Amino acid sequence: MELSRIHSLLDKYWNCETSAYEEKELQDFFSRNDVPFGLQRYAPLFSYRETQQSLSLGNDFDERLKTAMDKAKIAKKEYVTIKIFLPLLRIAASVVLIAGLGASLFFIAKQNNKPRFAETYNDPDAALKHATFALEKLSDALQAGENASLKTLQNIDEMGIDWMALDSLSVPIHVAAGKEEIKKEQL
Amino acid sequence: MSTDKFSQVILPLKDKLFRLALSIVGDKRESEDIVQDVLLKLWTKKEEWDEIENLEAYCFRSTRNLAFDQIATANARLTDPTDLSGESLRFIDEENPHSQLVKKERLSLIEECTKELSDNQRLVFQLRDIEGMSYKEIAEIANISEELVKVSLFRARKKIREMLSNLDNYGIEPHT
Repeated sequence: MELSRIHSLLDKYWNCETSAYEEKELQDFFSRNDVPFGLQRYAPLFSYRETQQSLSLGNDFDERLKTAMDKAKIAKKEYVTIKIFLPLLRIAASVVLIAGLGASLFFIAKQNNKPRFAETYNDPDAALKHATFALEKLSDALQAGENASLKTLQNIDEMGIDWMALDSLSVPIHVAAGKEEIKKEQL
Repeated sequence: MSTDKFSQVILPLKDKLFRLALSIVGDKRESEDIVQDVLLKLWTKKEEWDEIENLEAYCFRSTRNLAFDQIATANARLTDPTDLSGESLRFIDEENPHSQLVKKERLSLIEECTKELSDNQRLVFQLRDIEGMSYKEIAEIANISEELVKVSLFRARKKIREMLSNLDNYGIEPHT
């Protein structure tokens, strides 16, 4: 009979041998009003199944999802643009880096090669002539200076100053100056 | 094309995903948010759909993972049991308020009982008994072997059966 079938189905159910269809059959049986007393204890399980199966999302869910999806679409668009330009940005960055490095290396190398004193004469003979002229001029000037100082010394000697008399004249110089006495030879 | 796939394959799963999330987090609002997050995430990476072997199982897996994440981030805070008053409970006319109460209590008892199950057992029970999926489908979603699916389901049902039997012996008297 049907009841014995239900019993065997239940046994199969506890042993996890029922098909999904058979489980539905059980559920339908337990949702009836005339469940025998002996089986009523299992009814809550199947009504729980039924209750759970009828649970669904709120009515406003689709609306909310759509709004969120539209928002995501806009965000995604921005993302895509960046994504496309990302490799280009990388290339541009490396180009700038290489150019910068190259330029600085070039200028450093150039600076090192630059002679500190530039050659201003093309003809060595002319250069020698001008150098000799300049050195002679310097030599003449030095000679003139030396002669002039010798002449001055000579003039002082000729004046015949009595140094001893000058020394004993008045207050010793070192007292006034607070320094070591200046000797005659030092003057 | 991808829009069609979304509305034909993924979107119809929404209620199932919702119930799965609900069985884990136990809160309707949170479960809705989880489903929305899962669908939105899938929507934003359409180009990866072809790489996903089983899109349906993937949806269930993401929902389950996100639901577990949610619980973890909520620091395993206690969730209120689902509010049964808002749900369409089937009552028979002849039944008096007392038997209604007993029935309702038993329903929430089963719910309590499912909370006692291990994560795998609860997942398998949910997918088999509520969603009526095949063992193969469940194995793919839970990422375990079909054998283990059967074992988990067997233990889950056994636990519920024991609870229902004990109830008759010591618990609430059945109303006749």
